[in-house]
Amino acid sequence: MSVCPRSNPDKYSRVLTSGFRAVVPFVIALVIGGAVLLATGHNPLAFYQLLVRESFGGTDRIAATLSAATPLLFTGLATAIAFRAGVFNVGVEGGFVLGGLTGATVALHAGLLAGCVAGALAGVLVSALPAWLKARWNVDEVVTTLMSNFVVAGLTGWLVTAFLQAKGVANSATPLIPRSAWLPDLLPPYGLTSGVLIALVLVMLYAVWIKHSVLGYELRQTGLNPRFSAAQGIRVGRVIIVSMLISGAIAGLGGAAHALGVVHRFVDGFSPGYGFTGIAVALLGRNSAVGVVLGAVLFGALASAGTTAQLFSDIPLDIVDVLSGTVMVFAVIRLWRQR
Amino acid sequence: MSVRLGARDVSRAFGPVRANEGVSVEIRAGTVHAVVGENGAGKTTLMRILYGLDQPDSGTVVINDQPVRLRGPADGIGHGIGLVPQELAMIGSLTLLENLVLGTEPRSGPRIDWARARGEAEELASRVGVELPWTALADNVSISVRQQVEILRALRRGADVLILDEPTAALAPAQVDDLLRLLRGLREAGRTVVFISHKVDEVLAVADEITVLRGGKVITTRPVGDLDRTSLIELIVGQQVGFTGFVPSAVTGDEVLTVAGSVSLSVRAGEIVGVAGIAGSGQDELVERVVGLRPPDGRITLAGQDISTLPVDRRRAAGLGYISGDRRSEGLSMDASLADNTIAGTHRTLGRHGWLKPSAVRAYAKRVLDGYSVRYGRTTAVARTLSGGNQQRVVIGRELDRDPKLLVAAGPTRGVDVLGMTYIHDKLRALRDNGSGVLLVSEQLDELLDLSDRIIVLHGGRVAGEVPGGPASRTAIGTLMLGRTPS
Repeated sequence: MSVCPRSNPDKYSRVLTSGFRAVVPFVIALVIGGAVLLATGHNPLAFYQLLVRESFGGTDRIAATLSAATPLLFTGLATAIAFRAGVFNVGVEGGFVLGGLTGATVALHAGLLAGCVAGALAGVLVSALPAWLKARWNVDEVVTTLMSNFVVAGLTGWLVTAFLQAKGVANSATPLIPRSAWLPDLLPPYGLTSGVLIALVLVMLYAVWIKHSVLGYELRQTGLNPRFSAAQGIRVGRVIIVSMLISGAIAGLGGAAHALGVVHRFVDGFSPGYGFTGIAVALLGRNSAVGVVLGAVLFGALASAGTTAQLFSDIPLDIVDVLSGTVMVFAVIRLWRQR
Repeated sequence: MSVRLGARDVSRAFGPVRANEGVSVEIRAGTVHAVVGENGAGKTTLMRILYGLDQPDSGTVVINDQPVRLRGPADGIGHGIGLVPQELAMIGSLTLLENLVLGTEPRSGPRIDWARARGEAEELASRVGVELPWTALADNVSISVRQQVEILRALRRGADVLILDEPTAALAPAQVDDLLRLLRGLREAGRTVVFISHKVDEVLAVADEITVLRGGKVITTRPVGDLDRTSLIELIVGQQVGFTGFVPSAVTGDEVLTVAGSVSLSVRAGEIVGVAGIAGSGQDELVERVVGLRPPDGRITLAGQDISTLPVDRRRAAGLGYISGDRRSEGLSMDASLADNTIAGTHRTLGRHGWLKPSAVRAYAKRVLDGYSVRYGRTTAVARTLSGGNQQRVVIGRELDRDPKLLVAAGPTRGVDVLGMTYIHDKLRALRDNGSGVLLVSEQLDELLDLSDRIIVLHGGRVAGEVPGGPASRTAIGTLMLGRTPS
């Protein structure tokens, strides 16, 4: 049509709109959670106040929130990078877990740095096969990466019980890593490790790289329109593989950081689904750097406040799951509308 | 004389865009009435209102001299109005007869009375003077035949006014003649036809009266005898248009492109080679093989270099430019910024040590967009916000700015209005005169005849023949397109 361009919203209002859209799932979650609390005879406002106090009220609580957010920063960022390239990598959980086992095992013998590098490489390994299948034959990455999580879960369980089991420990766990190979604590006596710094630096690098690098440009274009990108000479298959490998590396590094900083070994049930919460973080944050930080802190806050909040009220811990579950459902709705 | 269908002072706005503004038309019973105008002139909006698919903000639809309110297409059908859309909705795995009666099958008890259906079909067809292979599957017949079935289907539902939205867009010249004959047959049978088009020659050949829309307003309604080609174009565009017409190439040089395979051809420097054919005759495959989006089935050379196995980026680096026929999903990335759209393909040469400097990107995009008269606000606006003609200028600018040795131009003026078209044609000629080769694939015969030095006609995935450019080749191309040999 030969009409003038549609009214071009200025930058300020555009930021406002996208910010508004981003908080919608969270607001809906608060409303639904409030309804559940009301129905069970509790005061939602009082409970939400308690949640806020328990997640941000004081240095110790903030440290706990950031500590809970740290693995989510890694998994959220890993997911966001792949999503940005249009690859729906849901295998970050597997990368995180294998990265944790590899990091814990290598650090045992070769120290902190080698443990981190090995963890990242393990994550790369997990994402390599789905990446190649997607780029070569367009095999649906949702299926292959989802399945790779189960492969990794089975593989790590077997490796630990068969070869890496710590002596004198009843449950399946690798030996304790020597203190010299731990990620140093940031705010002693609180359990916040320097892993959060690594994650934040990576998020900042991502923000600059995706916007201003040649590869970041190709990654964004591939995600927006692969047909267009291929016709302009962007090697879409290569971009997809690179995005998946970077995503895997960050997931694996996240697992290693969690092992070396928090758990100090690899144990059964190492990740309570950090990779899957990472999907919600990326979706909620719309794959942007700032969004990933906010999303990770939000879910971190819910997790850390949830555990202590029930000490101060008779409200069951499950209400926190209702909240984060609702946020996830609405974030997933967004995922399907994107696809 | 009675007004069978019309609009009285109809206005319709979509946000700030006034698609129709005080539009009044009177379509008399038993006539062929053409509605013509540029893209965005408001033709389709008006038709949707007349059929009941859309409601006017003010003003009213008139049927049989009476003001009427149409609440939906069912109301339109109830008043005997039928619409033949641009995209034909047919079930490919059913026969033409089954498609014809679908939803309104003649029954005897619980069974469909196929004998009666066949009889009705034959009778309908003979009344408007067409013959159709009723037992053929819809998938196996041409668009032209499907369109005829669609017209008969509307008639069978009791329509005596038929609205046809750009019906000739996908037809070969001989098929266009068939359609125009069918429309005259409808008029003889006392039906009323509303014919939407921006193809001036067809309109002049078949219409009794012509209404010209421009910018959402009716410019004039005149009997066809009062108009000729030039005056009608000037009414549509609103100014005089300098058509260059056919200007053959002055100098040709060495071959810049050779293709060997199921389709074999070559393009010399300083030459525009046109590719004609009914949609689906192998044009898409040819283009994709040359550009590198489809595996080759033979040797392809660009300026003497074998490029058959090179990826797209290496072909572009070797001097290939590509205007995609599918602007919305391949030529542009609609949700990416104008800057990102403009630097695509050049972004690697723009980068330094793997980084893109924002100011350099902006400056490059501004230079290209301004150089090709794109009307835009900021380089950060997404491509979707531009009008179709402006979007195509972004593509043209991006591809021509690199001064390609060979430009593959597929439907370079698709969805572009007359003024935009002349602009793009001039740019393509200038590129050729500068010593580049152009492979021009187009569905528009006039475009091919005007621009090409030679025209290669495809049929069934093979080269059916080659003719020189210029208006004299029109008939020969039409024959070759249908797979026949010119006498």
